[in-house]
Parts: sequence; structure tokens; C-alpha cells
Amino acid sequence: MAVLEVRRATKRYGRITAAAAVSFKAHPGRILGFLGPNGAGKTTTIRMIAHITAPDEGEVLFEGRPVGAWSQQQMGYLPEERGLYKKLKVAEQLRYLAQLKGVSAADSQSRITYWLDRMGLAKWATSKTQDLSKGMQQKMQFIATVLAEPRLLILDEPFSGLDPVNSELLRTIIAELKNKGCTILFASHRMEQVEQLCDDICLVAKGKVVLGGSLRDVKRRYRRDKLALEFEGEAPGFRDIMMSGAVKLLEHKDEKYVLKLSSDADAMAILDHLRASPGVNLLRFELLEPTMTEIFIKTVGAAA
Amino acid sequence: MLNRKTLIIVKSEFMRRVTSKKFIILTLLGPLLFVVFMSSVVLIGATTLDGDSRTIALVDETGVLSDRVQALWTSRHTLVEADAGTVRQDVMDGRYDGYVLLPAAMIDDPSIRPQYFAGEGGGMSIEGMLERRVERALEDYLLARQNVSPTVREILDRSVNVEAVRLSSEGEEAGSTMSYSAIGFMMGMLMYIAMLIYGTVVMYGAIEEKSTRVVEVMVSSVRPLDLLMGKVLGIGGMGVLQMFIWALMIFAVLTFSGTVASFFMDPAALDASTTASSDDLLSAAGISMPSLSPVFFLWFVLYFLGGYLLYSGLFAAVGILVESPQDAQSLMIPVILPIVLSIMFIGPVNDSPHSTLSVVLSMVPLTSPVAMSVRMAVTNLPWWEILLSFSLLFGGFLGSMLLSSKIYRIGLLMYGKKVTLADVVRWFRYS
Repeated sequence: MAVLEVRRATKRYGRITAAAAVSFKAHPGRILGFLGPNGAGKTTTIRMIAHITAPDEGEVLFEGRPVGAWSQQQMGYLPEERGLYKKLKVAEQLRYLAQLKGVSAADSQSRITYWLDRMGLAKWATSKTQDLSKGMQQKMQFIATVLAEPRLLILDEPFSGLDPVNSELLRTIIAELKNKGCTILFASHRMEQVEQLCDDICLVAKGKVVLGGSLRDVKRRYRRDKLALEFEGEAPGFRDIMMSGAVKLLEHKDEKYVLKLSSDADAMAILDHLRASPGVNLLRFELLEPTMTEIFIKTVGAAA
Repeated sequence: MLNRKTLIIVKSEFMRRVTSKKFIILTLLGPLLFVVFMSSVVLIGATTLDGDSRTIALVDETGVLSDRVQALWTSRHTLVEADAGTVRQDVMDGRYDGYVLLPAAMIDDPSIRPQYFAGEGGGMSIEGMLERRVERALEDYLLARQNVSPTVREILDRSVNVEAVRLSSEGEEAGSTMSYSAIGFMMGMLMYIAMLIYGTVVMYGAIEEKSTRVVEVMVSSVRPLDLLMGKVLGIGGMGVLQMFIWALMIFAVLTFSGTVASFFMDPAALDASTTASSDDLLSAAGISMPSLSPVFFLWFVLYFLGGYLLYSGLFAAVGILVESPQDAQSLMIPVILPIVLSIMFIGPVNDSPHSTLSVVLSMVPLTSPVAMSVRMAVTNLPWWEILLSFSLLFGGFLGSMLLSSKIYRIGLLMYGKKVTLADVVRWFRYS
């Protein structure tokens, strides 16, 4: 059963419809990539899920029940615009935010110690939040989001502002949480991260869901129209192919090529032709799957 | 209205403030700074206006008043007789600070007035002092001319000082209306300052949450109303604690208040000897320190809480609409206006605490905390009036919370756009 189900959720601000009948599901132990261009209605939808705003129409179900104050206790929300009380001390602030999620004082203490240590912030526990660097505050905010051990984790651009080392740490932790059965909603513009992390995706544009499903299924829906080639030796056969108009050169370095197949090109015919041509030692012939970036641009462009 | 989460917020808002260095320093040094400020105002006034002693020349054309005026003269200013021909030039040259001309005709013609000439203003105190002395001297001369007997003179010299006694259900209480009205002013001002200061603290708290964007994290855990209530009550608790500490300090200081007050009084001005004790001085001035009942202080705190809660909700609503204190200015006007209005009426309410104006101001929740602080200090009010006024204040508080929490809910996620009063009005019209 889906942990989270958004059913035709609609939100209007004056004459602007920020979310128009948005529907999707998120499943336990999976990461759902929530994608869309700026102003597509991602934040509006997330706020409806987090019960910060209520949908004008439709509903948001968490574990089968409409969201409310009760479900806020089960969710951890890391907003894109980070915010912490500047003057509060690190541990004090974490304890405060955990208590508001219903964590007892005793539980919060051991969890704070664990997470500060894990994130390399242990020696900052009694410092004022404003004395931490931006990256450290990012990590601290992530801790605040996971302290209550939420069943649904909403992460809006969690990697922004983190260096490669900390990004890797965060990726590891997110994977751990996923394996523990946590449902994760991951909103991002960074398609390589989406590709790396997500099991499912939901793409919104202009307030509507335009693409959804498991990452693999989504990719299968798109034809593999890019060809990566690597070979040694003279290749008269290769020249023939280039001249035929079936392909277009995208990238070229030494003897490595990336070609775009025209819509009527037959990849297998090209392979046969290359193998048949004399003096060619073929090292690589791969039909590349479309990247999320390409799918994103194609889909959003079509919706525009 | 108060759930577990609100209490967590109340506790956090309260603790983070009362444990801050700023709070501790301000609470301990606040009264000291206030006393230093007030005394320096008094002292600067005293030294710059009356501190210097002046030399005043007396030109007596009547020939009979000079000695009598001299005999009555008790002042730090010096009075010397001078020649009518040269006195004007002497004043111009700075030998004298001014001169008094007593024209001969003033003895028999009341329309002829003595004149005081001075280079600079001279000050009301000198004029008043001259007036009283010359009046006594003239009276003395005229009575002597009529051969009035010493007994009659004594009768005429009799003066009466009314002792004001405030009647209350607990019995009589000696004290002057003057000191009660001073207390009334003070309590009214205190209420005004307290509501404004703590209300502003709430506003800054809301601005901080908005500008640091922590508010979005908060409302993913708690309802906006809980956040609003928690903040308002936590800061209110801080206010009550601070005032309680100050009250303790004031009670300690009041023990020595007589000595302090007498320090600022001129024995001569009160016709008392310079060796008079501070108590003698105070009673000569007709002042006895009024004692206000503990019940009054209880009501004062209750009205502070009521007024503070009413206004702080509105201040919070203003704060949540803006991202910086500068942007708050114009939105604050409708909130500050009624507070300012209520202090403008402290005087009239103090003078006639039972007037229609006073009663109306006591019933309107926006003005009642200040008006009632003044009235309860200066007079006894029927219990039903206090209860009605306080119930209305409580109702006003609920109304303000309803209004504020609505503004809070809409305003807390609005960024980038400057909200105007017209926008706020529109939100209410379209919902």
C-alpha cells in the first residue's frame, strides 16, 4: 500500500492555479523523485502533503487517512529555503524541534548525540547556530528533519550547498533510511542526482503531473536514440554511415564517438555494416538510454 | 487553546529570553538606568534654570515697600536697592540680572502694576516669588496704615492646608490627591510602556521567524495558532517575571523614597526650616506617600496581561507580514494608534475618573488597560465596572487572536511581496 497518496489535489491562489488535480503515490522503502521546472507547483504540493496548506479540492492521504496534525508527527520536512533560529544553541535547537515532533526529552538526547557525531558536528553541540558555516547549518537542518524518525521524509534540494564529501555522506544516509523502510520524497532540479537516487519519478509542469512511474519504466518509454562507438583502425564503413544521413555526430574524442540516430535509422543495420567493413576493430557499440535531463527537457518542453 | 505543543513553544520562547545576557542586564540595570535618567533630567533642569543665583535690583518709588519686601526676602537670589536713574543701564551692563519697579501709584490704585525688567526671560519662578513678596509687603503696609490690631493681622495671616483623605471600603486613608494623581499618571504610563515594549518584542520574534524562514519548519510541526500563542505567552511570561523583579526592587527602594524625594525639594519654597527632616518636608509639601493595596497591583498585572495579549497578537500579525523591521513601520500604525490614543487621555481620566469619557475608555478593550490603571490608582471603582471592563478586555483578546491567527496563517509563507494594509483587508473580504 502506498504510504502517501495525493488525489487530484488542487490549490489556487487568487486566479493562479498552483496545483491542478495533482495525483501520485509514494511507496515505503522507495525514493520518489519529485521534479519540475521552477514554478511548476512542487512547493505548493509539498506544503499540502506536510499539512501546511490545505488543498482547495482533492485530498492528500497518509497511510490511508487524510493528512492532519497527526500526520505531521510522522513526516520530516526539509524545505528548500532552509531556516533555523540563529541564536539558539545547536543541541538545544535540535531538542526543541524534535520535541515539537513528539520525541521525548530522553529519546531526543541520545538521537542528537548520534546524529551530531555522524554528521561531524559533535563539537558544535553547544555553539550558537549562527556560528556554524552554511554547510554545517545544512547538515544540522537535515538532522532536525530526521530526528523524529519520520515514516515519510520530504527533502527539497537536500544537496544544495554541500561539498562533494558531505554530499556523499548525505547520499549514504538517505540510502540507509530508504533501506530501513522510510518513504522518501526527493524534490530536485539536479537530474544526475535524481538518476542516481530515485526509484520512481513524478514530473510536474504548470501545476500538472506530466510524467510518472518507476524510473526504469519511464526511461523505457523513450527510444534509445543515441549510439556510443569506439573502434581502432581505418573505418571506411564508418564514413559510409556518416554519409548516409542516418546519424548525426554529437561528440567526438580520439576514436570515441557519440552519434544521434535519426528517427528512421536502424541501429542493428549500422552494427552489421561496421562489422562487415574490413580493417575495423570494434571496441564498443552501445545504444545509450535517454538521460533524465533529456526526458525532462523533452517533456517539459512539450507541456509548455 | 493550550495544547502540549503550545506549552513546548511557550517554554522555549520564555527560557531562551530569560537566560539571555541581554535580559539579565536589562532587568537588573533597567531601574537604575531609569532613575539615573529621571534624576539627570531633574538635575539638569534645576541647574540650568534656577541653579544660578541672580542679583535683582529694587527701585521703590513708593518709599514704604522696600524694607518690607527685603524683610520677607528668603531666596538664593539677592535683592538690592538701586537708583532709578542708572538701574536700566546697570542691567544692560550686566551688573544686575534684572530690576523691579514699584510705582508710587500702586499703593492706592490696584490697576497700577509693579514691573519686572530683565535682559533674559527671567523665569516664572522669579516673577512668582516677587509677586508673593510684594503682595505681602503691600498688604502689610495697607493694614498698618489703617491701624489694624495685631490680633486681626494674625487672623489674616492664618492659612489653611486641606488634608486629602481617600475614602475606601477598607476605611480612611490619608494622602493627598496630588500624590494619587501622580501615581495614576505613573501607572498609566507604565502600562503603556509595558504593552508597547513587550508587544514589540513579539513583533521582532515574528519577523525573525519569517526572515530566517524557520517558520516553514515550525508550521510543518505545529499549527500557526499554536506558534502564535506560544510566542505571545512565552514573551508575556518574560514580561511578568521582569516586572515582578522590578516591583521587588521598587518596594526595596520605596523604604528610602522620602529621603530621595526631599533631596529634590527646596525647603525655603515650602516655608520650612532648612534643617527640617525629610518627613517634615514631605508633610509640609502636603505629600504623604500613598499606599496602594495589593489588590490594585493584582489588577494592574491582570490588565497588563489582558492588554499585552490583545496587542501582542496584533504586533505578531504585523511581524509575520514583513521580512525586516523597516517594512513594519507603516503596518504598525493601526496597532500603535489606539495605544497612543489611550495615553493622550491619561490627563483627562486622571482629573475626572468618573466622567463619561473615562468610563467609555475603560470599556473599550484597546484603551481599557491604560485607562483602568489610572482610574484604579486615583479612585475606587464599583466592582461591576471592573468586572465588565475586564470581561470586555478578555473578549477583545479573543477577537484579536482570531484576527491575528488568520493574518499569521496567510502571511507566514508570503515572501518577496510587500504586503500592504489594503492586501490584509482584501484577505478578509474574500474569505
